[in-house]
Amino acid sequence: MDLNPIKDAFDRVAKKQKMSGSKTQEVVAQMILEIENSLEIIKAEHFGSEVDCKSVFGELKKKLLEIAPLSQLEGTQKELNIALSKYPKQLEKSFNPDIAKAYRNIDFDAHTVNQIIAGHFYRQGLFDVGDCFINEANVPESTAAMKSLFSEMYLILEAMKNKNLEPALNWATANSNKLKENGSDLLLKLHCLQFVEILQGGSRSKALSYVRTHISPFGANHFSEIQKLMACLLWSGRLHHSPYSDLLSPTNWNVVAEELTRQFCNLLGQSFDSPLSVTIAAGFQGLPPLLKFMNVMAGKKHEWQSMKQLPVPVELDREFQFHSIFVCPVLKEQSTDENPPMLMQCGHVLCKQSINKMSKNGSKTFKCPYCPSDIDSTQCRQLHF
Amino acid sequence: MEMDSLPNGNSTIPTTIIPTTTPSTALSSKLTQLTESLKLEHQFLRVPFEHYKKTIRTNHRAVEKEVSSVISVVNDAADSDISNDDAVQHLTSLVSRLQGLKRKLEEGSRTENLQAQRCRARIDHLESADAENLSEWNNMRMKRILVDYMLRMSYYDTGLKLAESSDMLDLVDIDVFLESKRVIDALQKREVAPALAWCADNKTRLKKSKSKFEFQLRLQEYVELVRAEDHLRAITYARKYLAPWAATHMKEMQRVFAIVAFKSNPECAVYKVFFEPKQWDYLVEQFKQEFCRLYGMTLEPLLNIFLQAGLSALKTPYCYEDDCTKEDPLSQESFRKLALPLPYSKQHHSKLVCYITKELMDTENPPQVLPNGYVYSTKALEEMAKRNDGKITCPRTGLVCNYSEVVKAFIS
Repeated sequence: MDLNPIKDAFDRVAKKQKMSGSKTQEVVAQMILEIENSLEIIKAEHFGSEVDCKSVFGELKKKLLEIAPLSQLEGTQKELNIALSKYPKQLEKSFNPDIAKAYRNIDFDAHTVNQIIAGHFYRQGLFDVGDCFINEANVPESTAAMKSLFSEMYLILEAMKNKNLEPALNWATANSNKLKENGSDLLLKLHCLQFVEILQGGSRSKALSYVRTHISPFGANHFSEIQKLMACLLWSGRLHHSPYSDLLSPTNWNVVAEELTRQFCNLLGQSFDSPLSVTIAAGFQGLPPLLKFMNVMAGKKHEWQSMKQLPVPVELDREFQFHSIFVCPVLKEQSTDENPPMLMQCGHVLCKQSINKMSKNGSKTFKCPYCPSDIDSTQCRQLHF
Repeated sequence: MEMDSLPNGNSTIPTTIIPTTTPSTALSSKLTQLTESLKLEHQFLRVPFEHYKKTIRTNHRAVEKEVSSVISVVNDAADSDISNDDAVQHLTSLVSRLQGLKRKLEEGSRTENLQAQRCRARIDHLESADAENLSEWNNMRMKRILVDYMLRMSYYDTGLKLAESSDMLDLVDIDVFLESKRVIDALQKREVAPALAWCADNKTRLKKSKSKFEFQLRLQEYVELVRAEDHLRAITYARKYLAPWAATHMKEMQRVFAIVAFKSNPECAVYKVFFEPKQWDYLVEQFKQEFCRLYGMTLEPLLNIFLQAGLSALKTPYCYEDDCTKEDPLSQESFRKLALPLPYSKQHHSKLVCYITKELMDTENPPQVLPNGYVYSTKALEEMAKRNDGKITCPRTGLVCNYSEVVKAFIS
């Protein structure tokens, strides 16, 4: 996004503000000077002849009239005001000024939202903030259960940041069976990291014995990985120059930490990402097309409040695609239980209603809309995605 | 059945729905997406600017007032006979007044500069978003939205704690909301004075948006006088503060004047509402709305707006089924509950997710059909066949078949 017009408009505001500020200072200084002058005159003449105070004040009045402080200020202020009114206009032009346009006026149950937020804080490891929120918003204590679930994970991750793998290894060993069931080789990955650490520490014999006790049990399924580790022993102390230097990359730690997070959440029965973060990210992708629609359909605000399905397609990234959606290419509608997708003999897929229509309820064969095959509707099979 | 090749050769190869994206187009679509989402950040730049503008205006008004008052003192003195001593005293006090103004000016411009800095920090933050740091940036965005929620719901401690712990005080509007806190606290204690002062501060802008908040405040104060059965004062108050609104709010005015006729506990429903305690809650809500409008904020918390859009975009009939994957937020009861009154998403194209690998099935990884009609991705089935001597077991029905029995499905 091009932010330069916004920056320029803002620079103008800031510049005019500075100018107006120094102008004001200057005018006030001028006034002080004039008044001090008059003061001097009266004081000087005090001991001499009778002074005509009135004329001194008259003189001062004239001087101030000449300075015309208010009209001086007015000039710079005017320029500042122009800049001040232009900037928000620029903002409205560059941004979407009303993102609430596609908001449906329903009561979003605040208690539910608060519970979701409290859970989010805990699963993101923001334990203090979560505690504070539960107190302040009166969220039921039960939500704090998330805290104990996730505190171990953050202890492990924190230790890993300090290159301490012990808590991670303890957890993975304790849960090794479950990890195996899920097809995760996290434990091996952790042992590999530990092995490289030991090797970098300079002790070849320690490294070797580590492989023997901890890594060799994986031999059956991970032969090639172990071979690689053994070869590293030869390069002890010079691993940087070896063909295996990638083992030293710090990103390995991040990859393993992510895998650990994934597995930890999985075993807890939780999703990998905070569901709140996922929904909000989906909202940022989904809102622009909805706002565009509302701009076009300005008059249909009323209908918007009661629609059962969004009026426009909202394409989300792969990461938000949790379910298979089949849209019949003939009917242009999503399949349902009553109208399931059907596989035709040629391999193309249509939904049941389309096939019924084209075969006149199974009374005749028809041509596939995508290839010249003749289709017999009785030969079509229902699909389950 | 042999379905791998189409009966009529290659001339009508069906186009699968998901076009294979080369990395560069994927990147460019990511960037358009980023631009689109940045365009939703109007409030992020607008609020600190309104705050900045307000400070500038207030400072300027103070200068104008002081300067014209100094001038008028001089003018008055020039028109009257005063003694020398008085003159010296007069002038000395003027000088010290102006010097005080000068100090205030310096302080004022310091505040202005700080606020200008904050406006810049926001622009820079938007600019810093790019493809590389996107997940970190989005993480920050999530926190910003949460702070916004906390401030609007008056959970100030949590808001402050979150902002401080994430070192993002420049990216959230805590000081702006603290200004509203004073008024809200007072209204909750049934005091209108701070709210009235706020109205006076923002008189011109409230007038421009045809706000009747001040009228409602005055009305409430009047009702309280009637409630206390201080009828004489109530009438004087109404004459002084309510009468000026007659031109625009005649109907309410008539109704309100009538309540003096009743005791503080009228039977008639039309008048009874005025005395209900929830009128005060209503005033708080009203104030929050006026306040948001003035600063160019959305009336709803940002969190609610994006939550709603996200839930609608994610909501499909399948989310409510028992086997919904736990990665889907809508597998959770609380999210389902929030999404209940919202519309389902709409798709124009098929998007198939492999039940086993959870990966998208597209031309690279086409869907394959087992003899029982269940569909899985090529990748998942190949993997399974490799591990089990060419045998496939359907994870949902337990059916066992040979890999050679599966057929490719073409989804257009």
